Amino acid sequence: MRLPFSILLACFLFSPNGILADAPYDQVQDNPTWSNQNLDDVRADKYFHESTFAEHYDGRFGDRKLNYDERRGHLTALMQTYISTMNDIGAETWIMHGSLLGWYWSRKILPWDSDIDAMVSEQSIHHLAAYHNMTVHTFDLHNDDAEDNGHRSYLLEVNPHYANGSLDEVNKIDARWIDTTTGLFIDITTLRRNATAEARGIDGPMMVKDRHHYNYDDIFPLRHTTFEGYPIKVPFMYADILIEEYGEKALSDVYCENHIFDAELREWRPLSCKDRGTCGYFRNPVDGINLPASLDHSVGGSKTNAPHQIAGVPSALHNLPHVGESPRPPRLSQQRPSR
Amino acid sequence: MTQKLGQEQVEEKETQYEYTPQGPGLDTRQHMTTSYGHKPLIDQVTNGWRGDVKIPEDSGDYEPGFCDIEDEGSCPNVSRDIVRSRRFRRMLALVVVAAILAYYAWQAYLRPRLLEDWEFKEGFMSGRGNGTYGMARSGDFDGTAIKDIDAALVPGGKADHDGKRRLVFIGDIHGCKKELLHLLDKIDFDSAKDHLIATGDVVSKGPDSAGVLDELIRIGAESVRGNHEDRLVEAAKTMLDDDVDVPSAAITSKGSSKDAALLKHMKPRHLRFLHDMPLMLRIPALPLAKHPGKHHIAEEITVIHAGLVPHVPLEKQDPYFVMNMRSIDHKTHVPSALHETKKGNSKPWFNIWNWYQDRIDRGRSVDGFHVYSYAEWLGKQASHGWFEKVRHVLPSKHNDKVTPQVAVYGHDSKMGLQLHRWSKGLDSACVSGGHLTAMVLDAKGKTEITSVKCKNYK
Repeated sequence: MRLPFSILLACFLFSPNGILADAPYDQVQDNPTWSNQNLDDVRADKYFHESTFAEHYDGRFGDRKLNYDERRGHLTALMQTYISTMNDIGAETWIMHGSLLGWYWSRKILPWDSDIDAMVSEQSIHHLAAYHNMTVHTFDLHNDDAEDNGHRSYLLEVNPHYANGSLDEVNKIDARWIDTTTGLFIDITTLRRNATAEARGIDGPMMVKDRHHYNYDDIFPLRHTTFEGYPIKVPFMYADILIEEYGEKALSDVYCENHIFDAELREWRPLSCKDRGTCGYFRNPVDGINLPASLDHSVGGSKTNAPHQIAGVPSALHNLPHVGESPRPPRLSQQRPSR
Repeated sequence: MTQKLGQEQVEEKETQYEYTPQGPGLDTRQHMTTSYGHKPLIDQVTNGWRGDVKIPEDSGDYEPGFCDIEDEGSCPNVSRDIVRSRRFRRMLALVVVAAILAYYAWQAYLRPRLLEDWEFKEGFMSGRGNGTYGMARSGDFDGTAIKDIDAALVPGGKADHDGKRRLVFIGDIHGCKKELLHLLDKIDFDSAKDHLIATGDVVSKGPDSAGVLDELIRIGAESVRGNHEDRLVEAAKTMLDDDVDVPSAAITSKGSSKDAALLKHMKPRHLRFLHDMPLMLRIPALPLAKHPGKHHIAEEITVIHAGLVPHVPLEKQDPYFVMNMRSIDHKTHVPSALHETKKGNSKPWFNIWNWYQDRIDRGRSVDGFHVYSYAEWLGKQASHGWFEKVRHVLPSKHNDKVTPQVAVYGHDSKMGLQLHRWSKGLDSACVSGGHLTAMVLDAKGKTEITSVKCKNYK
């Protein structure tokens, strides 16, 4: 919604450091205790801030870094709810960077990934800013295992600097889709027309404020596909974009970041002590390293994979067809959350 | 000699000895004399038992050793004589020249060939490196990925016992309808007994895409999907609503606005024809074809638009690359739409394809090559008995599991016509003023290449 100038001025004057930052903590939290947001960043004009405890978390909503399993579950729900909301709104969005690589390999988020990258077109970001900024979307994920019983809210916050198309060191992200339970978020960037390159005669040049450059024909026409079981779009020349960004080995390496790609299941799974031959060693099994041998992911049958329901699916979408149902990774009961 | 010595010593030292009774073995014996005035026999012994014997220089009884320089027959002397001889020096010169030639031959000819062969082979070896292309799920294909040709259309097949039918493969037509009609006329195309298969990119860039589609539909032709058809099919999903205006090139791109304008002119039958195009078309080995060679095809044929990665099963090929590739990274086998990638490891895909198909054809084994599924891996485990191992060492006529195939493709106008034993590239750059080329395959497997000149429509 468009705020009148006087209210904006009041916000500016009464905000904690006197700079225009993301919405103040007490205005977005129902049960405020304290904020973990790192507002000490001396760069003025920086809108989105990160938490004090980790880079990929919003400190207003999270207080700790999640462990491997929790993070995977929350990121999956974050992606699914984002897709569902954008489809409902009618905003054109597609996945890029690490999420696109995960789509290419397994149609899922890569298990070691700590954030999600999405892109929108210019018309979409204008529409989101005009009508959906600071909206909270609540979903019932039917997830009895989670502490919040799967009842989660997501905040869509748009950076007021979205309208400024020039390169900006501190405001590269145009919007965020934030999980208010844990502070995880999706970085949303806008694909804009590159006026300076166009003036030089290049055909169809596009750019993003985080210094990526593309051609119109690389991205459009977008391909319709699925990701985490939900309909999403990907760029037209996805393979060339991935090779350009990550190199050829990103499309061929099956060992990466302590994970191995299972060609039968077509999924990434963490290397267990069986793969490494270290099952006799004493080592604390956190973050997928040296998991106990009894945890056999390839069997795929544990009680958390409820056959009648896919955990993490927002209730409103049960009648949508999903392709490639993804059982949640088995829960490690011995794991201690890292603080 | 010893006798003489003894006498001399006795004569010299006769008056010098004194007797000291201290027992044998001491050098006080020197001082001994007997009461008779004779010398004891022991004094005549001259082998140095006194401890200070001196052997005169000119001893005639001394035996020379093997390495004694003095002796004419000893090793250093014999060697020196050999080395100085002319015959030896001639042979030495020959050996040195031969060594230099061998080294040069190795450096200039053998080593590069071995290196080149290794460059081809290393991308296939599963022991090296960290995985390979073909493992990931890769992209989706909207339509039929692999289509087998209708059996009634195969020359010499079930519906053609006389072997009168022909298959005609034509490269990228790109909307050049006039040239297409001219070419069909030139090869005496008869839709009753000939079947046309286009290698994709029949639309875009040229003057009359809708006309070409109409012609193909009329003669019952088929085509595989090319990258331009891929764009049109994808764009058609959002651009066909009546209330959507054709976006100008200023907010999209030149290619995109041209595609949008083209879509506006297309009828449902055209769109259906585009959507029906499969990604790959398979043609079985012709039953009547007997003598395979460069101008005869007796093996299975796969028609695609741009290329295939060798050894990767057809189902695992990424549809995007099947429609766009021009080169392959020779280490990871990841394809690329460019002719040469930045990293510099790329080779033209058909070079590696031909190397691989040749190897299969000669019956060389593919043990140690990558596997792409559990079933394949199981198959390999089965062939590890001792008898199988022996069998695999000997080249056999046919490797049981894998048979070679010929790839017919287009897409690469810069490389032009590329006719090899296992790959036939038919894009001869018609739309930019080159030629439109057709390859006619008859029932005996004989291939014939015909082309017509094209106008430049760029």
